[in-house]
Amino acid sequence: MAHATQPASAMQALLGALSLPRRWRIGAGPIIAAVVLLVIVLSALLAPLYVPYDPMQMNSLNRLQPATADHLLGTDQYGRDLFSRIMIGGRVSLLIGVGAAVFSVLVGLLIGLVSGFFRIADAIIMRIMDSLMAIPAILLAIALVALNGPSVWSVIVAITIPEVPRVVRLVRSVVLGAREEPYVEAAIALGSGMFGILWKHLMPNTLPALIVQGTYICASAILTEALLSFLGAGVSTEIPTWGNIMAEGRTYFQVNPGLIFWTGAVLSLCILSINLLGDTARDMLDPRLKKREA
Amino acid sequence: MQFKTADLSAAPVVLSIRQLSVGLSGETTKVLDAISLDVREGETACLVGESGSGKSVTSLAVMGLLQKGSLEVTGGEIVLDGNDLLRLTPSQMRRIRAQRIAMIFQEPMTALNPVMRVGEQIAEVLKTHTDMSAGDCKARVLEIMEQVHLPEVPRIYRSYPHQLSGGQRQRIMIAMALVLEPKLLIADEPTTALDVTTQAQILSLIAELQERHGTAVLFITHDMGVVAEVAHTVHVMQHGRIVEQAPVESLLRRPREDYTRTLLSSVPSLVPRHVRAESRQQEVLEVRGMRKVYGGNGWFLRRPGTLAARDIDFSVVRGRTLGIVGESGSGKSTVARCIMRLVDPTEGEVRVAGIEIARLSRRALRPHRKHFQVVFQDPFRSLNPRWTIAMSLTEGPLNYGMRYSESFARAEEMIELVGLPRDSLHRYPHQFSGGQRQRIAIARAIMMRPDVLVADEAVSALDVSVQAQVLKLLGDIQQKLGVAILFITHDLRVAAQICDDVIVMQHGAIVEQGPAAAVLSAPRHEYTQQLINAAPGRHWDFANFRELETA
Repeated sequence: MAHATQPASAMQALLGALSLPRRWRIGAGPIIAAVVLLVIVLSALLAPLYVPYDPMQMNSLNRLQPATADHLLGTDQYGRDLFSRIMIGGRVSLLIGVGAAVFSVLVGLLIGLVSGFFRIADAIIMRIMDSLMAIPAILLAIALVALNGPSVWSVIVAITIPEVPRVVRLVRSVVLGAREEPYVEAAIALGSGMFGILWKHLMPNTLPALIVQGTYICASAILTEALLSFLGAGVSTEIPTWGNIMAEGRTYFQVNPGLIFWTGAVLSLCILSINLLGDTARDMLDPRLKKREA
Repeated sequence: MQFKTADLSAAPVVLSIRQLSVGLSGETTKVLDAISLDVREGETACLVGESGSGKSVTSLAVMGLLQKGSLEVTGGEIVLDGNDLLRLTPSQMRRIRAQRIAMIFQEPMTALNPVMRVGEQIAEVLKTHTDMSAGDCKARVLEIMEQVHLPEVPRIYRSYPHQLSGGQRQRIMIAMALVLEPKLLIADEPTTALDVTTQAQILSLIAELQERHGTAVLFITHDMGVVAEVAHTVHVMQHGRIVEQAPVESLLRRPREDYTRTLLSSVPSLVPRHVRAESRQQEVLEVRGMRKVYGGNGWFLRRPGTLAARDIDFSVVRGRTLGIVGESGSGKSTVARCIMRLVDPTEGEVRVAGIEIARLSRRALRPHRKHFQVVFQDPFRSLNPRWTIAMSLTEGPLNYGMRYSESFARAEEMIELVGLPRDSLHRYPHQFSGGQRQRIAIARAIMMRPDVLVADEAVSALDVSVQAQVLKLLGDIQQKLGVAILFITHDLRVAAQICDDVIVMQHGAIVEQGPAAAVLSAPRHEYTQQLINAAPGRHWDFANFRELETA
């Protein structure tokens, strides 16, 4: 393992002093990422309690103001407070990210388990998944939102569907590898039923990979939401989301660059933190590393 | 028994290891503790020991291939022809590695590049280290391939590794190692992955080439039979130390150290066990006319399948052990898997405890599964790593509707029966050694009170002393519970130790069948004779430190 050989930063020295088991000794990056993400999530969740203005309240006298003491990050073209909008907007963006991750992992896990274990189902399911993968994700999302009307749920569904085949493939490959293990054959010999084997022996093997995949889906869902809103195919424009704020700000970018800059900065920080944490989770859950310690 | 006895004291020392210590980086644990040994020109020095004794680390240290950042040399010297290898720069070491020291490994498939023709792989060694022209290179490669007795050399030159058999691949590895005529050849378990008849050929090949070129050989093995065949001198290792070093004959005849004695006593003898009175019990496993064809049914094209087993007929009575012996690909594991119904036999009958199971559907079979249980080869993969031992042991009884408290009580009883403490039940598989895990796997199988226990190479992955213990455990359990055992193995010694009756298989068919004593001491079929003749060290009775008395 490359990390944890010598303390490279104060944070690492502190962690070393705590003498954690080696697999929990991690660099400073993931810890900073976790703190940043925690701040973003908490400030979004608690936003209604502390934001200074109603994010919907227009004020035509205060349009496109730069950052001032009254308006921390300035205002948009309707005079709405940008800081309040970004904080409140995070709620919907994060909800979509987490929702899409949870749904695609759950659906993908179920289909993947069935596909990995039952030969005949596998042949059919995988062809359906192949054809789903052949459809461009953004076009599918636009079509679904156009059909169902703009709402948080239709965006979540629109993002989930193209992600499912990837999760299915992942789960299926883990199950295909694990079902040949002697302990699975021993379980068959002990008279365990198919569903018992699937659930008790095979499913736990997929969890590490799924947790990692979930973080990536979460990050990419937040981005896709922003992209869909930007294209006008996302959540209704009245609801502030990071995508909507940037989409509306695009026209007035030259008057108040903060509209795009601050929103984009929070969005990027959020994605970066989630991805970093996903990478760390992958390193820690890597079975090869685990084997070396056993 | 013909031992190698050549007097080599006059021959120059090629490799001299002095007080070599190797430790884990950053820790004080010693992996090798001040070991010293000499290898002379034309000598074969065997390093023997069980897994974890440090024999492979020794060879890697000589090659300068210790894993950076985890193992490092902490003291001593390794002198090859007057040069201390530990003081050389990496580039000097690289030159020495190809030209003066060569190495062959256990698994030739992974040591060869799968996408390159084998002839070109040998030629590459020459191109990197000599100035020979392309034509000379090819001529030299063909010559060395002749020397290792490969058939149809021009064809094999153009073959890829997957097109060759295991024995041929190992011959390629040997050719590659010897093409630059190194002074020292390190052979790390070179025959462990090979069948016994192939092993005999490879061993005699190494001996022949050594004689021709005067190479010094450092031979690493865990197999005392191989030691008896190839060694001039033997160095016995344990826990990173050399506990005893002596010429092969005096070591096998008069071992001085207790550890050497224990090691030798654990080597199973080729003499079949004493004959047990044939009981008139009922037959619990009966196989009639079984046949298994793999593949052969495509959706669009009917392809011919692979015939893995045919005309299999045998039966086992309660309390006795039947061994199925054969080399890889002989179909012995297919037979075991058909009986366990992990695969479905294509034809024939399998009767367990009077119930015909070969034709039952998977669902209809489930109530009968408790009558036959299995123990697999690999102790590291046969237990679910995420489950406690208690969960693994109680899984079966719970499937048959036993209450948890009752099955836990039985688990406590069984874990003690296999010689492990009760608190093992709350631990996880990775906290146990290979031998202990195999005991747990046996406990899991007998939790079901089976009539038949199928042991598929159940002791093949274990060190010889642990192997002896597990074999004894199986014998004890059989006495207590009266279970019939179907013991599948490639190892004639193990078969001789535990089996009452033996079946010898070749190419998917039974070639000889009968009481162990008859089959192993007076084989009638030509193939059985070949197998027995190929068994290394077959004239030596290791456990009693003397020649085997031929009956």
